[in-house]
Amino acid sequence: MPRVRVVSRNFMEMVAALPAAKLDLLYDRHWTCQAVLRSLPPLGKQYVMRLLYVENAVPVKSLQEWAQPDALSKHQVAIDRLEQLRVILAERKKEVCYRMNPKFQKQLRQALSTGGGPPRDVVSGSIAARTPSLEDLDNYAMKQWESVLLQLVSCASDGPTGPQNSFITKVFQRAGLLSVPNEKESLSITDLGFQFLLMDTNSQLWQLVREYVTTAEDRGTDSGELIGFLLELGFHHVGEAYGVNSLPPALQKVLEELAALGLVQLQKGRSESWYIPTKLASNLSASLSDSSDWQSSEGFVVVETNFKVYAYTSSKLQTEILRCFARLEYQLPNLVVAALTKESVNTALASGISAEQIISFLRKHAHPHVSQRIPVVPETVSDQLRLWETDRNRVELAPAYFYDDFPTMDIYEAVVAHARDLGGLLYEDASARRLVVRADLHEDMRMFIRKQSSGTAAQRR
Amino acid sequence: MYAHNHTAKQAAMMDMDDPDDTVEEIQRQDFTKLELKPDHANRPLWVCADGRIFLETFSSLYKQAYDFLIAIAEPVCRPESMHEYNLTPHSLYAAVSVGLETETIITVLDRLSKTKLPKEIVDFIRGSTLNYGKVKLVLQKNRYFVESPFPEVLQKLLRDDVISRARMTPTEAPGAGSSSFSVSRAPHETGVADSELLGADDVAAGAEEKELHSFEIDPAQVEHVKQRCLPNALNFPMLEEYDFRNDTVNPDLPIELKPQAQPRPYQEKSLSKMFGNGRARSGIIVLPCGAGKSLVGVSAACRIRKSVLCLATNAVSVDQWAFQFKLWSTVGDHQISRFTSDSKERFRGSVGVVVTTYNMVAFGGKRSEESQKIIEEIQNREWGLLLMDEVHVVPAHMFRKVISITKSHCKLGLTATLVREDERISDLNFLIGPKLYEANWLDLVKGGFIANVQCAEVWCPMTKEFYREYLKKENSRKKQGLYVMNPNKFRACEFLIRFHEQQRGDKIIVFSDNLFALREYATKLKKPFIYGPTSHHERTRILYAFKHSPNVNTVFLSKVGDNSIDIPEANVIIQISSHAGSRRQEAQRLGRILRAKGKPKDRMAGGAEEFNAFFYSLVSTDTQEMYYSTKRQQFLIDQGYSFKVITSLPPADSGAELSYHSLDEQMGLLTKVLHAGEDIGIEQLDEDVDDITRGRFTRRHGNMSSISGADGRVYMEYNTGRGRGGKAKVRDPNKPRNSLFKKRFT
Repeated sequence: MPRVRVVSRNFMEMVAALPAAKLDLLYDRHWTCQAVLRSLPPLGKQYVMRLLYVENAVPVKSLQEWAQPDALSKHQVAIDRLEQLRVILAERKKEVCYRMNPKFQKQLRQALSTGGGPPRDVVSGSIAARTPSLEDLDNYAMKQWESVLLQLVSCASDGPTGPQNSFITKVFQRAGLLSVPNEKESLSITDLGFQFLLMDTNSQLWQLVREYVTTAEDRGTDSGELIGFLLELGFHHVGEAYGVNSLPPALQKVLEELAALGLVQLQKGRSESWYIPTKLASNLSASLSDSSDWQSSEGFVVVETNFKVYAYTSSKLQTEILRCFARLEYQLPNLVVAALTKESVNTALASGISAEQIISFLRKHAHPHVSQRIPVVPETVSDQLRLWETDRNRVELAPAYFYDDFPTMDIYEAVVAHARDLGGLLYEDASARRLVVRADLHEDMRMFIRKQSSGTAAQRR
Repeated sequence: MYAHNHTAKQAAMMDMDDPDDTVEEIQRQDFTKLELKPDHANRPLWVCADGRIFLETFSSLYKQAYDFLIAIAEPVCRPESMHEYNLTPHSLYAAVSVGLETETIITVLDRLSKTKLPKEIVDFIRGSTLNYGKVKLVLQKNRYFVESPFPEVLQKLLRDDVISRARMTPTEAPGAGSSSFSVSRAPHETGVADSELLGADDVAAGAEEKELHSFEIDPAQVEHVKQRCLPNALNFPMLEEYDFRNDTVNPDLPIELKPQAQPRPYQEKSLSKMFGNGRARSGIIVLPCGAGKSLVGVSAACRIRKSVLCLATNAVSVDQWAFQFKLWSTVGDHQISRFTSDSKERFRGSVGVVVTTYNMVAFGGKRSEESQKIIEEIQNREWGLLLMDEVHVVPAHMFRKVISITKSHCKLGLTATLVREDERISDLNFLIGPKLYEANWLDLVKGGFIANVQCAEVWCPMTKEFYREYLKKENSRKKQGLYVMNPNKFRACEFLIRFHEQQRGDKIIVFSDNLFALREYATKLKKPFIYGPTSHHERTRILYAFKHSPNVNTVFLSKVGDNSIDIPEANVIIQISSHAGSRRQEAQRLGRILRAKGKPKDRMAGGAEEFNAFFYSLVSTDTQEMYYSTKRQQFLIDQGYSFKVITSLPPADSGAELSYHSLDEQMGLLTKVLHAGEDIGIEQLDEDVDDITRGRFTRRHGNMSSISGADGRVYMEYNTGRGRGGKAKVRDPNKPRNSLFKKRFT
């Protein structure tokens, strides 16, 4: 899933962009170090392992000798990345040398030698008995996540309805998925928002988490701490309960919001409360590495040659997403029947969704029964979607000026001749003495007409 | 700017961008409240309260469910994975008429459904089947009986004046004893539904002996009695059954199928629906063209073995039917006669097959002495089977006339496309009988029984010069001429003809409704053409050359070729102009190439040739044609066909050798089109007196939808979704306009 990688790498860009002091602070915890290691390109991982037990600074030249001459570009990418993330630190003596960040080195060595142990204290057994089953937890996570997306979708269909979580709305706005309401417009979904809906869950998750971190900073939460915690969360065991009280107060508040996103489930006992990471949280760190290949859910869509879409779903969210580009015809307990019509697709295209996005959504979510079919989406349907899209792009709008009310035929003809000489005459109608000229020539035309008619000709835009 | 008025119209025609929320809300049906059964995954279908049924074709119960649904519901669309059906009063009428009972329908439907059946649908089935199929009209030994398993229904009927007067009172119980009916045993029903599907208890119930009650009516009053029973009166529409085995009055026709006539499984199935209880039911059988409708007709005749009157739509198909009878059955030359305006063969003997046209029988004017004699014979004879071809093209009033002047025991209607765009379907239902069987096109393709057709819509952009004229207001009557004669279309057509003739050695039919275009195209390309005025002799000669000469591989046909001209050799159709939005015409034309060709094993799924027939529809982009084209394809798309859009023909780097390559030539053509006069090329009158379509092409004033065959379909316009998700903005005429337009609109 290339898109996931792009987005998750963007997340690491954000980590890399942290000020040096904050970044170093992150490396106080071995979880962050491991997460960073995971996100590195393969060559970078290799170098980290080579340097892990090297105490001295290593000259650049020696590093270069590790790589074949034709792989130098890859080598450079890896080194740059390591330096950006302050995994290695440059020292300038006689020549440039690299030394591994001592904090990073120490933590990673420890993690390697001890295995790291559980990140946080797993709470006592009596509570563990009360934790939900993995299946329940998955359902909970998906439900939370759906309700997050539904909040976005509800703005698309009929304005904000249902319970709105204000912090999620802010995250959406920050990401440009929802518009910021003003006097003219109410809260509504943007072009980006529509495209966002058609992405796979992982990409969506990463984008939201990224924006979430930025908004958290606006509200005074320390981003370094937050990032550290998010990276650490990926190493938690799914389904196990971890005590909330061991967390700093700032993060305790964050937990509630992560629960709203479906990353963790919060439970309260009499005296203490605890959080249980969900599948979504573990995916967060798993998708950092390139090999991640996580499918959100089983396919459910059948597209027929007659432009009918049969979706085996009872999810309100999936239904709403379908509604973005298809006309719903029947809703049954576990089936939604919709049709791709020219109108429905045009509405989608007008909201910034591309034909390619619709097709890839239909393909990615193909029902197992048709997913082996080649092509998954009937060719006629995908062709038609693309044709509808190109149909919209056939007309190009270019500004132009319209001139009429010429007092005499002579002036009119002189003006037409002038426009023709300039190469900007688009339309002329001699009998009504009108012409249309390219907008960029307006100044020139105006001068000319004024000269010709001493200001009697009227112009209008 | 002249374009003002036109752009507005154009926009109305093509631009369907406005999302209209209210309409969508009304259309969407929410049945999420239905309760799913726990084992729903094993059941194949959903039933909605409005009668819509969705069937998974990949379910293990698909075959049984399909056979059952096709008996009780109308297919809406049948693509690969999911079929849709509609329960309608007509479809339920058909269901009960082939012997399914109300409770059986409900039980089986419930068994197959993933959800509990909506209460509405159970009520609907009960309500619709309450009266239907309860009363039968049976001709037994030339006495008419009204028969029913429910004596109370018969009593209800007898309360009607007309019927009670028509009753022949049994001598032994004179007067008041009207409650005593003669009682007999019901004939055993076979082949209606899968016994596995119905379950053991249902079969047991079905096998129980039922008592039939009946009373006799006066043969002279039969028509009146039938009238009284129609839905608009007593609402007990009568099914007609013919107990031909016990008919000793009419002489037998000793014909049988030749050994080489092997009906295919679906032909057998349709016949078993017709002869399910040992009697012959009246009704309609729907099979795609090329799937062997004539064999079904001939087989039916061979089972009944009484005199047959066969009605066709024109003289050419009369010849073909006579040929088919001789081909498939042992009927002798002396037993078969044709009766058309050209060939008036007298019947010989008291029993035989007569093939004629609807027009000959229904003709109301003065006939020649010879014809008069023949028609009197037709009227006086009692026919065992009235075989009616292409029932969908015959106007209802003509049916009434034909059926009222011919006496027949059993009526069988055959058609390829029972396209339901008008109320004619209900006429057929009660004039002939219910639909007995309808085949699934895709299944027949998969079985290799009909050709696998590649359908394509070729988009031909209008040339600049033609489009300029097309948009002019003064040319509004020449629009059709302009988009049909679009040089790009001509070149695409020429390209396709060359490709198929030279590269594949195919036989090609080019269809054009527009006679001007037909003549121009054919002359320019030096190909033969057939249209209304072409004489029967000339037609036969051209078709013979097309079939047998290696040099004649392309023939141009006007709409006379839509029906019944049987050209089994053709496997490519190029359509350059067509009758507005008629779905039926599109299907009929496709049918011309459906007859399977090549070796059966190549045709089966996975065989050597994926496609062995080609259907091209050429449309000029940005003209009315685009809109019509989409409408026309609907029927075929519902049958599971898909239309591939081809946007650049001839390919960009070729085409110099094709006609109208230079602008000069194109301008020459344009001048010709513009000077051809108004309404150019509309086929005005057909000379063939036998042709059912005669005189139907006069200019009519009607709304667009009825002309285009779009009656009953609602056409909506939509606005672009400016302001995502916002309500559609309707242009308020009083709203301030951009200053550029202000002057134009006030």
